[in-house]
Amino acid sequence: MKRTIVYFITAVSLLAAGCAQETTNIDVMHDEGKAVMALDYRDFDRAASKLVQSLLASGALKKEGGGRYVVATGRIVNDTMQRIDTDQLMVKIETELLNSGQAVMTSAVGSGADKMIHETRELRDSEEFDPNTVAKRRTLIAPELSISGKIFQRNIRYDRNKQQVEYYFQLKLSDVKSGLRFWQEEEIVGKRGSNKSVAW
Amino acid sequence: MRWLGIILITLMILAGGCYKQQDSRIHVREEVRSDSLESNIVTRPVVHAFSDIIGEGIEINDAVLTRNKGGFLELHVSGFNKSYRTKRFRYRVEWLDENGLVVGTKTSVWLPMSAMGKSPFSFKVVAPRTEAVNFRMDTRKWE
Repeated sequence: MKRTIVYFITAVSLLAAGCAQETTNIDVMHDEGKAVMALDYRDFDRAASKLVQSLLASGALKKEGGGRYVVATGRIVNDTMQRIDTDQLMVKIETELLNSGQAVMTSAVGSGADKMIHETRELRDSEEFDPNTVAKRRTLIAPELSISGKIFQRNIRYDRNKQQVEYYFQLKLSDVKSGLRFWQEEEIVGKRGSNKSVAW
Repeated sequence: MRWLGIILITLMILAGGCYKQQDSRIHVREEVRSDSLESNIVTRPVVHAFSDIIGEGIEINDAVLTRNKGGFLELHVSGFNKSYRTKRFRYRVEWLDENGLVVGTKTSVWLPMSAMGKSPFSFKVVAPRTEAVNFRMDTRKWE
């Protein structure tokens, strides 16, 4: 009886081991994995790359007389059925704008604001801090341009077994003073797959 | 039987004599334009099959570098899909500085491209840094 139980446990262990899915690291440089219905990092990479290229090619960031524009990140709306941190798109774009040498991003206002900038200004009246090390009044630089946008999704029934999911990445660059829009672009990522796949 | 052969050849010649390309800038696709000798209802399947067998694909004809008004390098690539099928592929451009070193950017990712059969195609890539002076491009199959 005892021996039978040992055999049984061994057999179950072997069978269970055979079913385990191996975990592998994704080669993010040359990922040859299949496409998925939801948005994955490759879609964000592609959208960010296309949008940045369009913005830089437009010449909208070329400041007359030289210098760099101060750009604030405005509201990026996620109107998809997925829980997306829009920073997944915007951090790539902000990084490239900073590295382009034509724009400086501000952390004082906008969706990329750093709370610490305002918190440290509240220390002016504190006796614990050397007043010379606390940021003075009127030292923040206001943004000249604002970049805002939207990501939205449309689900369409393609046929009995397939669905089509369209993701739209839209960005626009506006002049804060005049309200004029200098640039805008849209990048579409479309996917077609089984009705059984869930795109959220 | 011989008559059938003669009729078939005559039909092919008649069908093939119609299309003449007028302007190299305008591409009128097969099955839209008039049939030609190498592309008509009789010869089309044979020619397509032969193209598949010899493995015709994408050919890059030109890669031109220009600087845009923002001071960024732009790469204009143009080519031709020699195959009769739509070819989907991915390309990635890496930018090099004056020392030949790679300029690290977040835009150097695999981007999709599609070229219809027997058609020219072109795309543009913009370097996100002004220090880029050259490039290298790689392609791979669209998985």
